[in-house]
Amino acid sequence: MNQGTPTAPTRHGRLRRVQAVVLASAAAALSLGALAAPSASAARLPNSSSAKTSIEWWASPISTSGPDLRKYLITAFEKAYPNITVNLVSAPNNTDTNEADLETTISGGATTPDVFMGDVIWPGTFGAHGFAVPLSKYLPKSFFNQFAPGLVAGASYNGQVYGAPFFQDQGFLYYRKDLLTAAHMAVPKTWQQLETDAAALVKAGKVKYGFVWEGDSYEGGTCDFMEYYADTGGQVLNSSDTASVLNVADVTKVLTFMRGLVTSGASPAAVDTFQEPQAMTAFQDGQAAFLRNWDYAYGVANSKGSDVIGKVGVVPLPTFAGQPEPGYSNIGGWNLYINPHSKNLQADLDFIKFISGTQAQTIEAKPPFSEIPTNEAVRSNPSIKALNAPFAILSQTKLVPRPAQTPDYAKISEAIYTNMNAALAGSASPSSAASAMASGIKTALSSSGL
Amino acid sequence: MASTEVAPQAPVASPAAKAPLVGKPDLIQRHLARLGWMFTAPALIFIGLVTLFPIAFAIVLSFEHVNVTANGFQLQGATLSNYHTVLTAGLWHHALWFTTYYTVISVIIEVALGTMFALVLERLTRFRGPMMAILLIPWSLITVISAELWGYIYNATYGVLDDLSHIFGTGEPVVLGTPLAATVALIFADVWKTTPFVTIIVLAGLVMLPQELYEASEVDGASGWKTFWSITLPLLRPTLGIAVLFRILQAFGIFDLPYVLTGGGPGNSTTSLAILGYNTLFLDLDFGPGAAVATTTALIILLMCVIFLRVFKAQVGKEAVGA
Repeated sequence: MNQGTPTAPTRHGRLRRVQAVVLASAAAALSLGALAAPSASAARLPNSSSAKTSIEWWASPISTSGPDLRKYLITAFEKAYPNITVNLVSAPNNTDTNEADLETTISGGATTPDVFMGDVIWPGTFGAHGFAVPLSKYLPKSFFNQFAPGLVAGASYNGQVYGAPFFQDQGFLYYRKDLLTAAHMAVPKTWQQLETDAAALVKAGKVKYGFVWEGDSYEGGTCDFMEYYADTGGQVLNSSDTASVLNVADVTKVLTFMRGLVTSGASPAAVDTFQEPQAMTAFQDGQAAFLRNWDYAYGVANSKGSDVIGKVGVVPLPTFAGQPEPGYSNIGGWNLYINPHSKNLQADLDFIKFISGTQAQTIEAKPPFSEIPTNEAVRSNPSIKALNAPFAILSQTKLVPRPAQTPDYAKISEAIYTNMNAALAGSASPSSAASAMASGIKTALSSSGL
Repeated sequence: MASTEVAPQAPVASPAAKAPLVGKPDLIQRHLARLGWMFTAPALIFIGLVTLFPIAFAIVLSFEHVNVTANGFQLQGATLSNYHTVLTAGLWHHALWFTTYYTVISVIIEVALGTMFALVLERLTRFRGPMMAILLIPWSLITVISAELWGYIYNATYGVLDDLSHIFGTGEPVVLGTPLAATVALIFADVWKTTPFVTIIVLAGLVMLPQELYEASEVDGASGWKTFWSITLPLLRPTLGIAVLFRILQAFGIFDLPYVLTGGGPGNSTTSLAILGYNTLFLDLDFGPGAAVATTTALIILLMCVIFLRVFKAQVGKEAVGA
């Protein structure tokens, strides 16, 4: 009886062959997988291309209703540049989610999107981490001179310009002309007057909510906060953006006023959950007397689906009593950036040059889009200024930027909006929220701490 | 007695019968095992790359100064400062506290409700199938979608809850904008979603319980409550243990519900550990501290599971063997 000898040679040989086949196919599968992985490549230098190219444009919806500006611009661009096709990718509406998505995509080496529409506060972060192409390397000074003053500085970091201003935005005070006239109220010029008027209208049952604005714990909350805070004369960072100069006493005053809006009934308690869509909906449904929102709100309030067409007035924001009028408006808006891994740099630059030019800027300025153009020639054109009410009062407004020229801006903004929201919700007293905000900003700048 | 008595017939272990224990089958087994490893190698390597590598890399990141650029991560020197930052941050303490009491409360409610539903389902004879299907609808909905739906219910201006409270005249609740109410709302939505999961697990345990015990207790005249406490519950302990373990694991990593409903607000009151990790990693681009948050969370969960299993070990082991 055989003990310990393996089975018949043929069967053993067959096993060996099976083993070999399995090993070979496994190796083949793995190497195919490795080959298929995308490799991060640096952007190629521009090359004049008459060949057909296709680029991907990542942009969040610009307006909540009405025709899509992005699609109009793409059509106009493809007519002017027949060899380039633009594929629109609709980005998240929430600017924080949008930013996180892009940062993950770009740091992963993705070659698309080629061009992305980004917030004006991103150059500090995107420049510091290399998430956007420095446009000043590829575009001449004459390109940047066509923009309104201050916008290019806002799109720069460390001496390089990262974004091409696409459209600018700022906060306005919208009000219901009919309600104020019926109540014999003048348009408020101070925050205190606004609070009194709004509370009175709510109490009289004329309107459900008095004053709606964006108090949620997100980037938009920082915008609203900056407007109130700048009205007290305060600043957040020093001129070199390296240290905090936050005035805790002034911040306490601001937070006390904000919380007072809710407790006096001027603003609904829900305002600490409001972002732009919620505030806009409340106003365009006729449920609010006053609205703080961006430039697009005028168009939306006067277009189909709104219950307040023709009843809306717009003025610069009020300020605190005793301070020079008008109040400060926070600078918003969006720039166009290029993905450093993009394979179509020349086409991307062509797209950016077109969007910054007079044709595209005029399209975006005209109704029904009514976005504030960044091209200075278009902005100062009298026929453009006469187009809609926000444009007409642009020159009367005072602007304040957010402290975004530093790579730590995300944490600074978080410190501002979470503590503002806590004070607004009543879960923290204004003074403790103000101190927490100050220490949060200090922590952000020192690059330590969560 | 004859000295040559016949030895009792012992089972003769012939060499042929002994052979299966050594030699040929051992080699065959080893061949088959090698073949099995080779067939599963591609899948195992893939799983390893997708799960083990990121876990290991995250642990490495937590011990380094990390800078993220367009070309990926730059590791700039080993350090323990990430852990120091996390463990001393008030925000982390708050997130840990919130996540812990959220887990404890929601798991207690879910297990109690789930067991009740399972007891009812077990008695149903005709409609058990359709009832289970209806019960599973909340569990089968993707959490982000059901969170958005809950957002419409809880919305302070045009939400369903707002409407109902107008009908009942109880004012305008701002649920998601008040810290305590937001937490309750989150727990409510979580219980709605995951109680079916507990029900299914407990039901599976219930149907396996031996009927003789119940018949005996009926003969002895035990009340329903006594039957439940003295017979059902002790026998269900291993099943309940599994359900609680799963739920603790899931609830401790809660992310999508608070992210969609409150974004971690108002202020930071509903920021769970997972949301804190997300904010640190993807909003602040602080990958070192963010990885430290993730690793400490994983360690805490591991610790909780080990403690829990120790406590339940005896019962789980015994019942599993079918004692």
